[in-house]
Amino acid sequence: MLKSLFRLRVFVSPYRWRLLLGIFAFLLARLFEASVPIFMMQGIDKIGAGDFDVLYPVLGIIGGVLGRFTVVSFARITVRRVSLNMAFDLRQTFYDRLQHQGSRFFNRYSIGDMMTRAVADISLLQRLISLGTILLVILVFATLVGFAFMLSLSPALTLLILPPLPLVFIYAWYASKQMGITSALVQNRLSDIGTHVQENLSGIRTIQAMVQEENEIARFSITNQQYADAFYDQARINSMMMAWMPVFSAVSIIIVLGYGGTMVQNGSLSIGAFAAFFMYINMVVQPFRVAGFMINLFQRAAIASNRLFEVFDLEPEIVDNPSGLTPQNIIGNIEFRNLDFHYPDTETKVLNAVNLDIKQGESITIMGRVGSGKTTLLKQIVRLLDAPSGQVFVDGYDVLDYPLAQLRSQIAFVPQDTFLFDGSLRDNLSYDDADRSIEPIWRAAEAADLKDTIEAFPEQMQTMVGERGVTLSGGQKQRATLARGLIRNAAVLILDDCFSSVDTETEEHILSELKRLRKSQTTILVSHRVSTARHSDRIVVLIDGHISEAGSHESLIKQKGYYAELEQIQREGQREEPGDETALSPGSGTAT
Amino acid sequence: MNSEKRDYSVFDAELSGQVLSLKLLRRLMKWMKPYRLTLIISAVLVLVSSSLQVLMPVVLSLVVIDHIIMGVTDHLVPDMGTIAAANSLAETLSLSPLFAACLLYAVIHVLWTLTGHLHRMTLTASVINGLRDLRLDLFSHLESRPSSFYDRVAVGRVMTRVTNDIEALFELLRGVGTLVGEFVPFFVALVVLFAVNVKLTLLLLLVIPVMGLVTALFRRITQKLFREVRMSLSALNQNLQENLAGLQVVQISERQAYNLARYTTINKQNRNLEKETATVETMYGAFTDSVSGIALAMIIYYGGGAVVQDEISLGGLVLFTRFIDMLFHPIVVLGEQTNILFRAMASGERIFQALDWDEKVREPEIPVELPPRLSGKLEFKNLNFSYLPGQAVLRNISFTIHPGEKLAIVGPTGSGKSTLIRLLGRFYDFEDGQIFLDGVDLNKIHSRDLRKRVGVVLQDFHIFSGSIYDNIALGDPNISRAMAVEAAITVNADQFIRQLPKGYDTQLSERGQNLSQGQRQLLAFARVLSANPEILILDEATANIDTETEILIQDALDKLTKNRTSILIAHRLQTIQEADRILVLDNGEVEELGSHTELIQNEGVYFRLHSLQFQAIEEDVEQN
Repeated sequence: MLKSLFRLRVFVSPYRWRLLLGIFAFLLARLFEASVPIFMMQGIDKIGAGDFDVLYPVLGIIGGVLGRFTVVSFARITVRRVSLNMAFDLRQTFYDRLQHQGSRFFNRYSIGDMMTRAVADISLLQRLISLGTILLVILVFATLVGFAFMLSLSPALTLLILPPLPLVFIYAWYASKQMGITSALVQNRLSDIGTHVQENLSGIRTIQAMVQEENEIARFSITNQQYADAFYDQARINSMMMAWMPVFSAVSIIIVLGYGGTMVQNGSLSIGAFAAFFMYINMVVQPFRVAGFMINLFQRAAIASNRLFEVFDLEPEIVDNPSGLTPQNIIGNIEFRNLDFHYPDTETKVLNAVNLDIKQGESITIMGRVGSGKTTLLKQIVRLLDAPSGQVFVDGYDVLDYPLAQLRSQIAFVPQDTFLFDGSLRDNLSYDDADRSIEPIWRAAEAADLKDTIEAFPEQMQTMVGERGVTLSGGQKQRATLARGLIRNAAVLILDDCFSSVDTETEEHILSELKRLRKSQTTILVSHRVSTARHSDRIVVLIDGHISEAGSHESLIKQKGYYAELEQIQREGQREEPGDETALSPGSGTAT
Repeated sequence: MNSEKRDYSVFDAELSGQVLSLKLLRRLMKWMKPYRLTLIISAVLVLVSSSLQVLMPVVLSLVVIDHIIMGVTDHLVPDMGTIAAANSLAETLSLSPLFAACLLYAVIHVLWTLTGHLHRMTLTASVINGLRDLRLDLFSHLESRPSSFYDRVAVGRVMTRVTNDIEALFELLRGVGTLVGEFVPFFVALVVLFAVNVKLTLLLLLVIPVMGLVTALFRRITQKLFREVRMSLSALNQNLQENLAGLQVVQISERQAYNLARYTTINKQNRNLEKETATVETMYGAFTDSVSGIALAMIIYYGGGAVVQDEISLGGLVLFTRFIDMLFHPIVVLGEQTNILFRAMASGERIFQALDWDEKVREPEIPVELPPRLSGKLEFKNLNFSYLPGQAVLRNISFTIHPGEKLAIVGPTGSGKSTLIRLLGRFYDFEDGQIFLDGVDLNKIHSRDLRKRVGVVLQDFHIFSGSIYDNIALGDPNISRAMAVEAAITVNADQFIRQLPKGYDTQLSERGQNLSQGQRQLLAFARVLSANPEILILDEATANIDTETEILIQDALDKLTKNRTSILIAHRLQTIQEADRILVLDNGEVEELGSHTELIQNEGVYFRLHSLQFQAIEEDVEQN
C-alpha cells in the first residue's frame, strides 16, 4: 500500500514546501486549541476560589480562539490548494497519456473504466491530500498536544483514560470498512434501478407491443426492493456506529467523573482542571473516531493510485520515429509486401501474406465478409495499427519511416463508425483544421451530398450536432464523416465501408463525384455492394485475411469466384437455400 | 386526430422549487400513511432520547460538581430528579455518592444509545418503505404511458424522475431525520438552561442570529459556486469522454495538441473555481468552530459576576459550557440541509408532474372479445390521421388485406408508412375513419387483446440486458425454452446463437455490440415468432447487411409470413417483389396498389421508384 502511495511523490513534490507549511500551521493551531481549556480552567478555579476578576482568562480564551481561527484557515486553504494543484496535474497527465493509445488499449479497457479512473480515482487522491493529510496531522498532533496538556494537569488521571482508546480505534476501523462495503452495495443497487428504468423506457414500444407491462412492473418491484434492503442495511450500520462510538468516550468520561471527582474531593485536582479534562477528552477521542475512516481512505487511495499509474505507465502504442529520409509530399503509391498481422495476445493471423501494389491514381474496392481483415489492412496505411517494418510501403518508403503527422494529414482515412463531436457542423467537418475558411468546407459538404441537408438547417454550418445537438439520421452522420475525409483533398483517400447507411442512389451520386474530383489521386474503399465495386479500377476480395481474387469487374466475373456469385445474388435477388450457403464461400466459417 | 393538446415542453423545463410547498409535503405524506404507526413510535423515541442526552451533562454538573463536590444543597435549579436518583442508587447499593453518580451516568448513557438507535431505525424503515412504494407507483405509471408520450419526451428526462428525483427525496427525509435529531435536544437543553439562568441563556441566544446570518450568507455564496464547480467538472469529464470515444478521429486528424490545449483551459477553470470554493468553505468552518469558543468566553466572563451574586452555582456554569455545542450545531446542520431541502422540493414537483400525466390510449368501455382464431382480414376505411392539427399524415386511406396475404408498403420517407402500422397496433388513437379486424372495429378492441394477436417487429431491435433466451421470450412465462429454441431454429438464428460462448445463455448488453445488425434482425424474428401472433407487422431494417446474412433473413421472412396476414414496410427489392401485393404510399395517400408486375406495367410511382433505386443492377443485367 505504501509503495503505491509513494509513487505519488512525483506529483506532490512540486508543492512539497507549501504542504509542509500547511502541516506546520496545523501543529500551531493545535497549540492554540489546547490553550482554551487551560484558560477556562483558570477562570473556573478563580471563580471557585472566590476571585471574580476573570478578565485575563476570558481574554486568553478569545485570543486562543482567534489564533486558532486564523492559523487553521490558513493551513486548510494551503493544503487544499496543494491537493487541487495535484489533481490538475494528474488530469493533464492522464489526458495526455490516453491520447496516444490505440486499438490494443481499447481492447483491454472500456471508456467507462477510464472515466471512473479520471473521475473517482483522481478525486480520491485529491481527498487523500486535502483530507488524509489533515486527518493524519490532527490524529498525531491532537493526541500529542492533548496528552501533553493533560499530563501536566494530572498524570494519574491521564493514564487512566488511555485503555479505551485502542478500542475506539479498532471499532472505528471495522465500522468504516463495513460502511464502505454497504455504501458500494447501495450504489450498485441504485445503478441497477437506473439501468432497469432506462432499458424499460427506451424499449417501451417493444414491451407494449408484446404486452409485457405487468411482467416488467413485477420485475422492477424486485429491483426496487433490493435497493430498499441495501439502503436499510446501510442505515443500520451507520446508526450502530453512531450509537457505539459515544459509548467508548463515555467510558473515559466516567473514569474522569469517578476518579477525577475523588481527586477533587481530596483536593489533589482543582475543579477547573476537572472541567478542562472533559474538553481534552473530546480533543483526544475525536481523532481516534476518524482514524478508521482515515485508514480506509489511505487504502482506497493506494488502489486508486495503482489504477492511475497503470495508465501513466502506458507507452504510446504507435511510436513516431521518422527517419528523416522520406519525401515531403506523398503522391499515392501504396504497397503491401507479404504482410502478416496478428493482434497482440492472439495467435490467429488476421492478415496472411497480403501482397498488393496500388499505383497513384488507382481506385480500389476491397470486398469480403465481416471479419475478413479489410479494416485491419487499411489501418496499416495510416498507422492506426503497426505491423513490423518492411511490410507496408508508401511511395516506396516504409510507412514506419514517415512522420506520423505527415502520414495522417496526407492520407485521409474515413472510419466505418460515424462519430460526431459536440460542436457545430463546421467544427466537425473541418476537424483537422479549426481555422479553415468556409468555402472548402461547403465544397466538401457538397461532394458528400450533404449541402442540401445543411442548408435546410436554420443555423446552417453553425448547427450544433453531437450528443447535445440536433439529431442527424444515420445516413446524414455517415455523409458528415465522409465530408470530414474529403475536405483534405488528400493524395490517398480511404473509405472504410462509409455507405452502409446511405441509399444506393446517393452512393452512386457521391461516387461519380469522387471519380471526377480524384482522377489522379488514389482512392481505396470497402463495400459490400457490387454496384459500388464495379466502378473501380480494381477489386480485391479478402477471405480470412488473404487475397483470394483481384482484378477488374469483368475479369472477376469471368473467374466465377466469390465476387461473381455475389454479383449474381445481388443482381437477381435469387435466394440460395441456407444449406448451400457454404458453396458461396471457399473459406470456412459463417457470416458473422 | 388527437383532440387533446398537451404541452410536452414542461418535461424539459427546469423546475426551481425554491419554496417549501406544504401541499407537496402533504401529498408525499400519502405514501407514508401505511407506515404511520412506525413514524409515531419514532417520534416518541426521539423525545425520550433527546431528554436523556440532556440529562448527562446535568449529572456531571449539578450532581457531581454542585451536590457532591461543592456540597451545595439548596438548589435554585431543577435537577430533574437526578440527585434523588443518585441518592437512592447510593443507598440501595450502598455505594459512595460519587460512584452512584457514575453508575447513573452510565445507565443514562446506555439508554440514550439504545433509544437513539431505535429512533433512527424506525424512521429509516418507514421512509424507505414509503419511498419504495412511491417509486414503484411511478414506474408502473410510466410503463403504461402510450407511444405518443414517448415520441415527444426524451427518455432521459423521464428516467431521472424514477432515479435521481426519488433519490433526492431519500436525501430529504434523511436530512429531516438529522434535523429532528439536532433540534429536539436543542429545545430540551434550552428549557433546562432557562431554568438554570435566564440572563445567561438569553445572552447565549444572541449568538444564534449572528450564526444564522453568516450561515445564510455562506449558503448563498456557495450555492452559486457549487453550481459552477459542478458545471465545470461535468464539462471536464464530457471533454475527456468525447476525446476517448472519438480518439481514432482525433488521431487521424492530428488534433491531439489542439485538444489537449482545450482540455487544459477547462481543467484550469475547474481548479480555480475549486480553490475559490475551498477558501469560502474553510473560512466558514473556522468561523463556526470559533463561535463556540467565543461563547465559552462569554459564559465565564458573565459567570464570574453571576456566581458572586449567587445567581448561578458553579455546577450551573459548567452545565452551560457543556451545552454550547448542543445550541449552535443545529444551525450549522440547518445550513447544510437547506440546499437538499430545495432540491428535494423541485424533485417532488417533477415526480408528481409525471404521476399526474394521464395521457393514455383510449380503451373501449365494453371491449369486444376476439374469437380464439382470427382469419386475419384487415380493412381500412377512409382513415385520416394527423399528429398535429392541420398537418395530415394519412389522408383518406381505404384498402383491404385478405386473410393470409402478404402486403408490402413502399414510399419515400415521411409518406406515412410507419404511422399506418402504429395505428394498426393502437399505439395512437384515431377517430377519423376506421380499421376493421375480421369485421370488428379496432377501437372496440382493448389494446392489450389486440397486441397479443398482432405481432410488431420494429426497425430497431431493442435488446434488454439478459440472456439470448430472455430476449426471445421477453419475460413471458408462457414461452418455454424449447419454444424459444424452436422459434430460433425456424428463423435461422439458432446457428449463430449456438456459436456464441454460452449459446442461449449468453448475456447481451443493452447496446448489444456483440451482435451484428443482421443477427439482431434474426433475433427480432425469433422474438415475434415465439409469441406466435396471427397478424405480422414488420418494419424492415434499412442497414446494409452482408449478403450471406441477407439470404438467411429472406428465408426466415418467408417462413414467418407463411399463412399469416403480413404487412411489411419494405426497403429491399427482394422483399417487395415477393409480396403478394404492393401498396405505394405518397404524402399520406394511397398512390397505387397491386402486384409487382401490375405496377411495373402501370409505369406509375412504383415504376419510377423501382427504376431509380435499382438502376445500377438492372444496367448490369443488360450489359451481360
